[in-house]
Amino acid sequence: MKSKAKQNLSLLLFVAPALIVYLLFKLIPAISGMFYAMTDWNGFYQDFQFVGFANFGEIFTDKPFWHSVWFTLKFVVVNLLLSNGAALALAYYIESIRKGKSFFRTAYYLPNMISGVISGYMWMFIFTKVLYYFADNWGWAFLDHSWIGDPNYSFIAIVIVSAWNSCGYLMIIYIAALQGVSPQYIEAAQLDGGNGWQIFWKVVFPMIRHALTICIFWSLNNGFQMFDTVYTLTGGGPGRATQTVALNIFEEAFQGNIRYGYATAKSTVLFLIVFSITLLQLRFMKMQEEEL
Amino acid sequence: MKKWMALLLTVIMVMCSFGAAMAEEKTAELNIMMSSANLMEQWQDFCDQFAAKVLAEQNIKVKINLEMPASGQYDSVLQARLNGGDAPDVYMIHCNNLNVYTKANYTTDLTQEAFTAQLFESVRKTVTLEDGKVYAAPLENQAWGVLYNKEIFEECGLKTPDTLTELKAACETLKAKGYTPFMLAFQEQWVPQLMTALTLGGKVSGELPDWVDRMYKDEGSYEEVREIFDVIQLIMANGTKRAMEEGSEAGAADFAMGAAAMFVQGTWAEGSVMTANPDMKVGVMPLPINDNPGCTMLNMATSSVLCVYPKSTEKELALQFINYIYDEEVSSQLFQACTYNPVAACHTYEPSQCVASAAEFLAAGRAYEELVLPSAVTDEQGKLLQELYVGTVTVDEIITRLDAAFQNANKLN
Repeated sequence: MKSKAKQNLSLLLFVAPALIVYLLFKLIPAISGMFYAMTDWNGFYQDFQFVGFANFGEIFTDKPFWHSVWFTLKFVVVNLLLSNGAALALAYYIESIRKGKSFFRTAYYLPNMISGVISGYMWMFIFTKVLYYFADNWGWAFLDHSWIGDPNYSFIAIVIVSAWNSCGYLMIIYIAALQGVSPQYIEAAQLDGGNGWQIFWKVVFPMIRHALTICIFWSLNNGFQMFDTVYTLTGGGPGRATQTVALNIFEEAFQGNIRYGYATAKSTVLFLIVFSITLLQLRFMKMQEEEL
Repeated sequence: MKKWMALLLTVIMVMCSFGAAMAEEKTAELNIMMSSANLMEQWQDFCDQFAAKVLAEQNIKVKINLEMPASGQYDSVLQARLNGGDAPDVYMIHCNNLNVYTKANYTTDLTQEAFTAQLFESVRKTVTLEDGKVYAAPLENQAWGVLYNKEIFEECGLKTPDTLTELKAACETLKAKGYTPFMLAFQEQWVPQLMTALTLGGKVSGELPDWVDRMYKDEGSYEEVREIFDVIQLIMANGTKRAMEEGSEAGAADFAMGAAAMFVQGTWAEGSVMTANPDMKVGVMPLPINDNPGCTMLNMATSSVLCVYPKSTEKELALQFINYIYDEEVSSQLFQACTYNPVAACHTYEPSQCVASAAEFLAAGRAYEELVLPSAVTDEQGKLLQELYVGTVTVDEIITRLDAAFQNANKLN
């Protein structure tokens, strides 16, 4: 009994640094944020009043907010499919080649090491200068679109940058999972005459379901909080056409009427949305994993 | 033995006196935050000059941290810093926000500072609040409108238009000669917003002087100033392509290289224009709104001002810095380098091209004081003009949304 307590204590000590950081920078601000959500604090004056749930009531009629929720949902779905699809394909490809594995792994992972802000500015240059250069000088007219100004094309631009940025990270998780698949199963399937697609879909894919759960969880979480790439690429514009929820909250807190309390109420709602969706996703995917 | 003792004592004495000399040199850190990234070099030079002066005169080694966040993010960064207990000692704000920052106790009363005696009375008024106290040091005070390329205008035989009809004709002439009339750089929302600032200012000052007061009482509407969108749409229809992909700095550079004949930008962009093309002949003209020349006026405003954080740990030094900006020996050099207009008696330099050009209109009394609208409304104007440009909103919708934004701002403030 004593040794178990000791073991727990040592485990706790190991996680303590991360736990303290998490408590200080995530949990405590989140809880205090919920308090501010019930005030009319503008984040500027030192005094404020308690307004109860008035801020939450106002959210229901806030059109720009719901527009940003809809835009974020669209972004999350498309980005999730694209980045996970590409990451899985890359991981499967890299694992199947014999030479240059580490080179490709590093090369595809590199974009993930660049922050969203930097990659946003980099791609901004590509979308506003490089593509037009090709269109104007090489006659590639299909690139001659307003990649930042037209809401439809800027959605594509945002998804491209975001998927490019996150793909490498997801790829590493898929690679780790693929390495855990015993080659015996694949050999057995090959002997049974299965083709490449069948082997992947019927043998490999079910065995990496746990990685899929993690990657989808990560993509959902990240997607709903999308800020940096959109901020640097389009600034949420034109107007509010490409405004994500995080950007809408930022605008509410720091621009215009600077309503910090109301913005925190919105972020509480965003938290509830993300929390319920990821909870559902985890439940659903865990159930499927167990079925296997 | 005695010799050794004497030597030891001498060494100790020398070290003590050296230590004492070292102790006399104090160190200090001054944090300055400004939103003039395009003037980083000029301000950095000035800060170095100030640090050298303080070291020479007071033996204080000042480390000056000059921060210049991009203008689009500046207000958010500043507000976060003020809230987070990490306020800069000296910071820049727009003069229109001086009242709000003072109400929140983020400014210091500067009335007794020496520099205030130097300021021109008209400029001093703009940084004096209702209580009669000066709360900021003015930097940019300008009469601004539309920048135009004098050489292109001369070549096409054009004079600055006084009415909308004349502006339309000028656009046609420019196009016939192969020039694009307007430079459009709408990537950042504050740039298209300048069009509403100018058109509203002209229309309201010329024909509807009580409009702003009524708007603050929820008794006015943008419907009354609907005609401002005529000229805005004219500019959009006669502008350079790919406006949403063009940032303000790139726009200034392209304008300097002759991409368009006119650019709706303040005189603060003159520095960027002249850097891109030092030989450019640039002028300032008012933007016509309708066919009433009485509405065609320049916008006169004090925009950037510097405030001192009242709880600054280096307040004394911060105040010295503010006063040094208006020091007779260095002030003109700084203001000229930044292409600011003269704001104080010590400014005896030759004005820049834009300033000289604007002076003609000022002399004729063709200028109005900038309208002060809630910042939520000006932000909304910028956003809506971007949307108008890409065609996702109509003028009717803009009017409805701006009325709502104004009423909402009234309700909240």
